Amino acid sequence: MRQLFQTRTILLLITPALSFLALFFLLPLVFVLADSVRDPGGLTLQRYGDFLAQDQTRNVYLRTLQLGVIVTGLAALMGYPAAYLIARMPANRRALAMSLVILPLLTNPVARTYAWLVILGRNGFFNQAMVGLGLIAEPIRIIYTENAIVIGLLQLFLPLMVLTLVSAMENIPTDVEEAARSLGAGGLQTFLRVILPLSADGLVLGGTLVFTGSITAYVTPAILGGTRVLMLATLLQQRAIVLLDWSGATIIAVVMIMTTLLINGLLRQLRPRSV
Amino acid sequence: MNAKNKKYVCLVGLLLALTLLAACAPAPTPAPTAAPPTAAPKPTVAPTVAPTAAPVATTAPTVAPTAAPKPTEATPNFAGKTLNVSFFAFNVDLINKNINQPFEKKYGAKIVYDTGNNADRLAKLVARKDNPNIDVVAFSTEFLLRAVQAGVIQPYDPAKIKNIDQLYDWAKDPLGNKMGVGYTISGYTMFYREDKVKEPLTSWKDLWRPDLKGYVSLPDITTTNGPATIALIAKAWGGDLNNDQIAWDKLAELKPNLITAYKNSAELITLVQQDEVWVSGYSTFAWGNLLNTKKPLKSVVPKEGLVGFVNTLSVVKGSPNAELAQAYIDFMISEQVQLAEALDLVDSPANKNVKVPADIAAKLTYGDDVIKSLMFLNDQQIANKRQGWIDRWNKLMAK
Repeated sequence: MRQLFQTRTILLLITPALSFLALFFLLPLVFVLADSVRDPGGLTLQRYGDFLAQDQTRNVYLRTLQLGVIVTGLAALMGYPAAYLIARMPANRRALAMSLVILPLLTNPVARTYAWLVILGRNGFFNQAMVGLGLIAEPIRIIYTENAIVIGLLQLFLPLMVLTLVSAMENIPTDVEEAARSLGAGGLQTFLRVILPLSADGLVLGGTLVFTGSITAYVTPAILGGTRVLMLATLLQQRAIVLLDWSGATIIAVVMIMTTLLINGLLRQLRPRSV
Repeated sequence: MNAKNKKYVCLVGLLLALTLLAACAPAPTPAPTAAPPTAAPKPTVAPTVAPTAAPVATTAPTVAPTAAPKPTEATPNFAGKTLNVSFFAFNVDLINKNINQPFEKKYGAKIVYDTGNNADRLAKLVARKDNPNIDVVAFSTEFLLRAVQAGVIQPYDPAKIKNIDQLYDWAKDPLGNKMGVGYTISGYTMFYREDKVKEPLTSWKDLWRPDLKGYVSLPDITTTNGPATIALIAKAWGGDLNNDQIAWDKLAELKPNLITAYKNSAELITLVQQDEVWVSGYSTFAWGNLLNTKKPLKSVVPKEGLVGFVNTLSVVKGSPNAELAQAYIDFMISEQVQLAEALDLVDSPANKNVKVPADIAAKLTYGDDVIKSLMFLNDQQIANKRQGWIDRWNKLMAK
C-alpha cells in the first residue's frame, strides 16, 4: 500500500515537468526524426549515409567529437580538485565559492566571446603579457585555431562540471576518507578507489553536460575558430539559416542528438557497478 | 541488465516506435527551401500570385466610405486601423520620429512592428501563410526572391504608389512582376587603415599585395556580402559570375593574407578595434560603427565599382490591409521621409529628388559617382550558386 502511494505521489510530482518536456521536446523531436528518414518512396537512411560518406561532413563530425572529448577531459581534470576543495569548505564559504564558480555563466555569451578576441588576439592581453615576460619573442597565433575553441568552450562549460561534482562530493561523508587513510591508502589511492567511484554519478552527469554543450555550441566556435575551423554547429547554421535547407539541417541536428544519447549511455556503462 | 537499464531501453524503444509511426503518417507540407536549382524561373511565378490581386481590390470599398470629404486626391482616412509591418530591428527611435509619428498624423492609422533579420521574418511569414498577420514586409532583394518563391508576396498596384516615379531605376521594381519597391540602398566596397597601409588601395586586386599579409578580412560566404565578394574578385581578375573559377583560384592564393572571414559587422568592428584587420570588404551600413573605432579608416571606390544592395517593401499576400499597406509604401519612398532618414543616417535614399549636404552624403551610398559605379547582382543566379559556393568555400578555407 505504501509502495502504491509512493508511486502515485512520484507520478503527480513529475507530471508538470514531464508533460512540458513531452509537448515541447519529445514530440517535436519525434517529428524531426521522422522527417529525417522519410522519403517520397518510403523510409530511408540514405541521407545519414551521405552525411558520413562525404569527406567534408565526416571530417567536421570527427573534429567536433574530438574537441568535445578534449574539452570534457580537461573539464574533469580541472574540475575535480576545485570541486573537492569546495565540497570540503564550511557551509558559508562554500556558498561564496559556488557563486564565484557560476559567475562566468552569468555573462552574455556573445560579449564573452568577443572578450576572447581582445584577450587572445595578436595584440591581445595574453600575447602582450607573454612577450613582456620574455617567454615568447613574437606574438603567437591563438585565435582562429582549435586551441582557441578549446579555451573558449572550457571557460564556458567548466562551471557545469564543477557544480555537478560538488553536489556529488558533498554527499560523501568525510569519515569514508578517514577510514580509507586509516587502512593505509595514500592520497592517490583514496581518490581512485573511494572518491572517484562515489562521485561517479556527478562525473557522468557533468561529462554529459559538458560534452553536449561543446559539440552543440555555436557562437564560441564560430567566432574563436573563424573560417579556418569548422564545427558541426557551424554547418548546421549554414544549412538552416543561410540555405534554408531544412532536411540537411535536420540530419545534422539528429546526428548531434544521437551522439549525445550515445555518449550519455557510454558514460553510464563506464560507471562502477557497485554504486 | 538491471531494472534501471531496462527502463532506459524501453524509453528509447518507445521513442523509436513513435518515430516510425510519425514517419509513416502522411507527409506534412514540405519546409520552404531556398530556391533549389529547379526553382521556377521568375516569369512563372507571376500566375500563382496574380489571382490574389483581386482581394486587394475588394477590400478597398470597406475603407473608402470613411475617406475625407474631398473626392479627388484626398488622403484616404484609415483612422482606427492598425498596419502590421515586418521590419529590420535598427534605429527604432529614429524610425518612430521619421515614420511612425508623421504617418499616424497623415493617415490616422497605427503602425505595429515585428522586427528581426531577413531569415527569421521570412520563416514567420511562411508559417502564417494561410492566415497572415503582417501587411507589409521589408526584405533584402535576396530574401524577397525567396519570399516570392514561397508564395507569400502579392504584387503592388503602381497606381497606388505614386511616388514610384521619383525613384532611381534600380529601386522601381528590382525583382520584376511588381513584387517589391526599393526604399533604400547600401553599397559593398572596401576600406583600409591609412596609417598602416602605405600605398592606397584602388582595386580588389590590391588585397593580394604582400605588405597586407595577415591583415585582410572578408565577409564569410554565408553572409549577404559573401557572394558579392566572389563577384568582385572574379571581376577584378577578368571573370564574372558565369566564369567564377578565376575567383576561387585567386582566393586560394589569398589565404596567407586573410586573417579570418567575419560573420557579422560586430565581429569586423572588434577586429578593427583590436588592430587585427587593416583591410576588409564591408557594407556601407556598418560605416558609422567602423568610424566609431577611432581608427584612421579610408573607404575606397575601387576600379571594379561597388555592389549595390537594395532593400524593398512588399505587400504580404492575403493582407487584410493591402490598401493601407500601399499607402505606407508610398509614404516610405516619399521625398520627405527619405530625406529625414538620410539626414539621420538611417538609410541612403532611393528617391532621386532627395538632396543632402556633402558631409552627410559622404556617409551614405549617395552621389552621382557612387550611384553610377553601382553594379547589381542577379539574385536568382546567386541563389542557384550559393550551396555550391558554400561547399567550395568550406573546402578551401577550413582544414
